[in-house]
Amino acid sequence: MNAAIRTARLTKSYGRVLALDDVSLEVGAGEVFGFLGPNGAGKTTTIRVLLDLIRPTRGRAEVLGLDTRAGSVEIRRRTGYLPGELALYEQLTGSELLRFFANLRDMRDLGDAADLADLLDLDLSRHIRALSRGNKQKVGLVQALMHRPELLILDEPTTGLDPIVQQRVHRLILDAKAEGRTVFLSSHALGEVEQVADHVGIVRAGRLVAVEEVVALKAKAMRRLEVHFADGIDPGRLRGVEGVRELHVDGRVARFAVTGPMDHVVKTLANLPVVDLVSHEPDLEEIFLTYYADADANTDGSAGDAA
Amino acid sequence: MLRSVFTKTLRDERRALLGWGLGIALLALWMVLLYPSIKHSLPSYTRLVRGYPPAFKALFGLSDISTADGYLRAELFGFMVPTLVVIFAVLAGSDATTLEEERRTIDLLLANPIRRGRVVAEKFAAVSTGLLGIGAGFLVVLVIGAPAVGMHVVEHRLVAATVSTVLLGGVFVALAFALGCLTGRRGLSRGASAVAAVVSYFVGTLAPLVHWLKPLRPCSPYYHAIGVDPLRNGLAAGHVAFLVGVTAVLFVSAVVAFERRDLAV
Repeated sequence: MNAAIRTARLTKSYGRVLALDDVSLEVGAGEVFGFLGPNGAGKTTTIRVLLDLIRPTRGRAEVLGLDTRAGSVEIRRRTGYLPGELALYEQLTGSELLRFFANLRDMRDLGDAADLADLLDLDLSRHIRALSRGNKQKVGLVQALMHRPELLILDEPTTGLDPIVQQRVHRLILDAKAEGRTVFLSSHALGEVEQVADHVGIVRAGRLVAVEEVVALKAKAMRRLEVHFADGIDPGRLRGVEGVRELHVDGRVARFAVTGPMDHVVKTLANLPVVDLVSHEPDLEEIFLTYYADADANTDGSAGDAA
Repeated sequence: MLRSVFTKTLRDERRALLGWGLGIALLALWMVLLYPSIKHSLPSYTRLVRGYPPAFKALFGLSDISTADGYLRAELFGFMVPTLVVIFAVLAGSDATTLEEERRTIDLLLANPIRRGRVVAEKFAAVSTGLLGIGAGFLVVLVIGAPAVGMHVVEHRLVAATVSTVLLGGVFVALAFALGCLTGRRGLSRGASAVAAVVSYFVGTLAPLVHWLKPLRPCSPYYHAIGVDPLRNGLAAGHVAFLVGVTAVLFVSAVVAFERRDLAV
């Protein structure tokens, strides 16, 4: 078995709303697969099909070589899942919740829970209802990871976490990969997926628009820069530099986009008196519009609301 | 208390169970303690009731109040206790699975390697256990209290009437479960189960007086549990089988419906 997840023409409709449209996807065992798309694109729908919480209208899916319907219990035994819309038992403490789930998994103890809680700086003795959103998210992460599952399905895992903790979560994902486990990571942030994933599947309006290696996607990522120059410099000097697109000059400020390597831009700027430099996160929507608009052209957009 | 879905459900319900159990037991205690002071006026009360409309008497189980049996039937077994038990049954049964869906905790619960049907079964077992506990508390008060205040009651008839009431509750637990598992909607499960209980109550109690209701009487769980007066007649296999059978069919429907459906959409 070399695919951890395989879907074949997976389609899910709610009445007239098409939430998933013919999604065929393969995630190799041992890789980190980023499932990237804006909110409502169908990421959560796909994941809930994999967990057998909802059933596809057409098509089928296999997880760890097992059919998601017939093999669901076995799949869930070997999988850790963090839901996108995380809801915990508010009346329990963190450790009570973990003990309950450990019991349902026939675990003798809480597995890696204590180490994970330490790493994430989470107090398990507190009632979940008293936890902040970020801390609840940490409880969700601990329960997904504590039994060392061979497949992790994480739906927007870093939602509500501060940047330092986000980095730790990325570390956990990479550690899992280093141990040969598979991670299926859904996210709406390109930057996050870039940091940890090997392959990226881009989903939009219920359709899988592309599957790319992260390296290839990075090359396509358009970065928006804003450079403030010192007096007496004409920002127009950036015109014609390799990779610079859509240059707008406004007084001493230049705003432009860069595709591909940053090298030429950086070397040009190095010779100029730069006062300030602002770089914006690559925008997923721009990548869509620039590279995948054709693949997406025959979509009627009706799936936009279904999560 | 977190060993399984069964024990966790009991744990979640512990306050409600304590409240309902204590409430119904205290009601029984109250009626028992009242008996010595009003038993002398009961014959005249019975003459008064004799003049009531038959429908009213049938609805509230008022017949011969001059005996201890009649007193318990009028005050507890005929109306109050079955009503309270059925309300508990509908509330607990309609919450059990729908709350997990409404609050979306079902995603995490079913991230664990446990079949959906087993979740329904364990939750059903937990609510049923709670129902049994409520019945047991009520029965203990009566069995100890009634003789203590000089009521002439037959113990196994008290057991029969209580078991009957608990079985009636079981039917409505199962109905609320089935509707909740089928639709995932708590309000619908609650409302429809409550309507069914009220209809069943009227059919079961008024059928002897309303000729066009008579053919419907065998369909009413109230008829089989209360209408046949187990306090006087004891348990009859046929009636018990009806109550248990309906509960079983509804329970299986709940499991099947929950296995098939998209959850928490």
